[in-house]
Amino acid sequence: MKLINISKTFFPDSPKEVKALVNINLTFEEGEFTTLSGESGSGKTTLLNIIGGLERASSGSIFLDNLELTALSDEQMADFRLRHIGFVFQAYNLISVLTVRENIGFIMKLLRFDEVEIDSRIDELAVILQIEDILDKFPGQISGGQQQRVAVARAVASRPKLILADEPTANLDSKNSERLMHMLRTLNEKEHVTVIFASHDRYVLDQSRRIIVLEDGAVIEDH
Amino acid sequence: MYKIALDLALKSLMRRKTRTLMVIMMIALSLSGLLFLQGLYDGMVSHMINTTIRSDSGDISLYAKQYRFEKNIDYHIDDPEPIQAYLYQSEEINAYAVRLMQEGLVSTAHKSLGATLRGVTLEDERKFGDFYTFLSQGKFSFGPKNQDALIGFKLAEKLKVTLGSRLIFTAQDANGEINAIAFRISGIVKTGNLTIDEGSVFVSMETMERFLTLPNSATQIALRVKDESQIKSVQDTLQKKFKTLDVLRWDELYPLLIQMREMMNIFNWVSYAIVFAVAALGIFGVILMSILERMREFSIMMAIGTPYRNIRYQIISEAFAMALFGYVFGALLGWGFLLYTASVGIDLRYFEAGLESFGLNAILYADIRYYYFFQAFAAVFFATFLSVLWPLHVLKKIKPIEVIQGKML
Ligand SMILES: Nc1ncnc2c1ncn2[C@@H]1O[C@H](COP(=O)(O)OP(=O)(O)OP(=O)(O)O)[C@@H](O)[C@H]1O
Ligand SMILES: [Mg+2]
Repeated sequence: MKLINISKTFFPDSPKEVKALVNINLTFEEGEFTTLSGESGSGKTTLLNIIGGLERASSGSIFLDNLELTALSDEQMADFRLRHIGFVFQAYNLISVLTVRENIGFIMKLLRFDEVEIDSRIDELAVILQIEDILDKFPGQISGGQQQRVAVARAVASRPKLILADEPTANLDSKNSERLMHMLRTLNEKEHVTVIFASHDRYVLDQSRRIIVLEDGAVIEDH
Repeated sequence: MYKIALDLALKSLMRRKTRTLMVIMMIALSLSGLLFLQGLYDGMVSHMINTTIRSDSGDISLYAKQYRFEKNIDYHIDDPEPIQAYLYQSEEINAYAVRLMQEGLVSTAHKSLGATLRGVTLEDERKFGDFYTFLSQGKFSFGPKNQDALIGFKLAEKLKVTLGSRLIFTAQDANGEINAIAFRISGIVKTGNLTIDEGSVFVSMETMERFLTLPNSATQIALRVKDESQIKSVQDTLQKKFKTLDVLRWDELYPLLIQMREMMNIFNWVSYAIVFAVAALGIFGVILMSILERMREFSIMMAIGTPYRNIRYQIISEAFAMALFGYVFGALLGWGFLLYTASVGIDLRYFEAGLESFGLNAILYADIRYYYFFQAFAAVFFATFLSVLWPLHVLKKIKPIEVIQGKML
């Protein structure tokens, strides 16, 4: 995935104008395990949202293989997200009226995977993420750490090309953070799924193989 | 795709039972209120019309021309026998009553009031309009020698007379002479028809003919048709047959009833609109709430790629499923209320005095008409439709990521 000259300005030409991203050029390879880091307000979330098509860049383009994502319509982008991107948000990721099992299978169902395949995939992920015991519970009945692991399971279930996670550990204690990162790392290694975080959490940074540091909307470090 | 939305809608409804039941209950209760109101108003109106028809006008009445304007016995129907014979053999006519009436003065030792003396045949009146059911005190009889009288209850109150009291009635006879006749009250009637209750005394036809020196005559022949939809055609036939008489329908004789009915209709519509508005607002509120409180959830769903139309379909299915159940329960409940009030009635004796001045009985009976249920169905679904429009509009407008990050809502 290639980002070319991505810029994002909120409230352009108004006194409130914010240049959140300025001329970002980046390339992500398949199987990466990368964190966007930087101080608060540096543009991590904005960049992640633009990569995931949840926000539109003010200028610049993103290519995946030969597909120009920045040229897709909203509806095409939604469909692209459904097929190729898994999201893990900071908290409350789950649909409250669905059980853990149904939550994990939700995207696969939308993509018309068959029931047998969905079930075996859920069982497989449940083992990796240690959520076998809570599959029939509702989100309201499990802990925050468990909820985040379920969110990860849902994000990876349909084997998307890319997992985007914005501060997935922000609401977790250190033990749960470590655990979540360890499991994501395992999935990354086992299934070669590309993962990009936006985070300044020590546990996330420790586990990452590549760290991109942003400052005032520009890349200042990439190693 | 829609199967998933439907599945999710079903789970949302089943797994948040309290909320679902609350919405259904709200719809059901307000709906039954609507139905009840409608039936009661219609019942009030048809009751008024019905008592007027039974106690006086019938469906159609025949008068000598001019009588209606001058109320003078000079304009009477001479020899009603052939007319009676015709009515008797007519297929379309169920019953008739021949009456001889004269206005005059009714007096006790202390007081005199204007009133109408009505010569009637009790047996005919019984067949004609179950007149005996109007009897509130005493006997439905003019006594062994036809010397007793029935009196409207309001008139009795005004004259301060009771059963057994003696009255004198003074009026002009056919020769223009002032005559007086005395009788004893054998019964008090309460019809709900003000002309009767406030100003009528009933005596036997024979007594009346003798008193007025007007044998074999009538001032009114009232009749009931077998089939109400035939009133107009029966009227036309009779008018053609009896050219010298006025043949008038009940609504021509009591135009006030029609006005009353129209007024009640407006009243009915206004209250319907108010109850509907309150109900719709309630339905709107709970459905809106149930969507807004899940805005974050819907945003997550959209962010991970659920198409907007899926979510729209889910919300619409949820709302209309609740509306449907609400309608079914509400219709059953309302039907129950109506059935009860149609047969047992609501005892309004408490407000009696006030209502009777409107010509209403103390016990109200509801009407039940099929169209109530269609109308209520339309009302409920219209309200439901309105209540999903706005949240869907909001949902379409939002940027999911802003809701998720708490920058919106
Ligand atoms: N929707 C928005 N409207 C206006 N300004 C925005 C919006 N989103 C972000 N910004 C601004 O863009 C800049 C970058 O914000 P961003 O959320 O990307 O930072 P961040 O690095 O994720 O910070 P944090 O660590 O606090 O999450 C900030 O100055 C922020 O105020
Ligand atoms: Mg952020």
